[in-house]
Amino acid sequence: MPRWKRFRAGPGDTLVVSLTEEELALLRSLPDQMRVVFDGDNDDPARARLFPRAYLDPTAESEESEWQALVHPSLLRERLDALELITATLARASVNGDWWQIGLTPDEVQAWLGVLNDTRLVLGTQLGVTEEERVLDPADPEAGAYAMYQWLTWLQGDLVEALL
Amino acid sequence: MTAPIEVQEPAVEDLTVTDKPWIVIVWNDPVNLMNYVVYVFQKLFGYSRKKATRLMRQVHEEGKAVVSDGPIEKCEADVARLHAHGLWATMEHPS
Repeated sequence: MPRWKRFRAGPGDTLVVSLTEEELALLRSLPDQMRVVFDGDNDDPARARLFPRAYLDPTAESEESEWQALVHPSLLRERLDALELITATLARASVNGDWWQIGLTPDEVQAWLGVLNDTRLVLGTQLGVTEEERVLDPADPEAGAYAMYQWLTWLQGDLVEALL
Repeated sequence: MTAPIEVQEPAVEDLTVTDKPWIVIVWNDPVNLMNYVVYVFQKLFGYSRKKATRLMRQVHEEGKAVVSDGPIEKCEADVARLHAHGLWATMEHPS
């Protein structure tokens, strides 16, 4: 993949993201994959990673339940809203030379950042990633998911650099 | 966290707590990017780049860091915002 900054300042306070056609297709497939996780079982470790406990103390079970009841619906709503927003931005990508480009408002940028990070948390949990980089045989059944994880890591890192 | 770049940092002073507020702790995890964690600390708490970076390094090197403190309601709200951004945060009351 070309070493090219994917997020650059656009007009006003917008950021312009540049993607290949293949990358655009990959990103368009993310929201449905994430909805499956959100709709899934509470016992799913990937889902649990997105909605962790607030109270580590196991004797604070009533505080934890109250907090979850109060906060969980809005945390879930925010994440679903971000999926809708990123889907809407991906639908308006336009071709510019070799690239598909989308101008993103600050709210849309936050949705991108959230979806990229949430997807990495889910994939990272499913793959059991550690701080050590893995070298996978292309024939490994996890090779595709790990390549996706690494690509999302690079894309998100580039987005954060544009924001810092 | 991922992609460490080794930089010499001055020692971090201990946080002194006088009136025993609740504290919010962020724990190290292997997925969240170092620059993303800095960005989130700046965005949520209004910390300077320097302070946010120091806290991120503390999380990375020591496994956790206290990132905010205060009344229980404030800490519950801080934990919720950290979870919304995918950071692994908990709260406790030091005894």
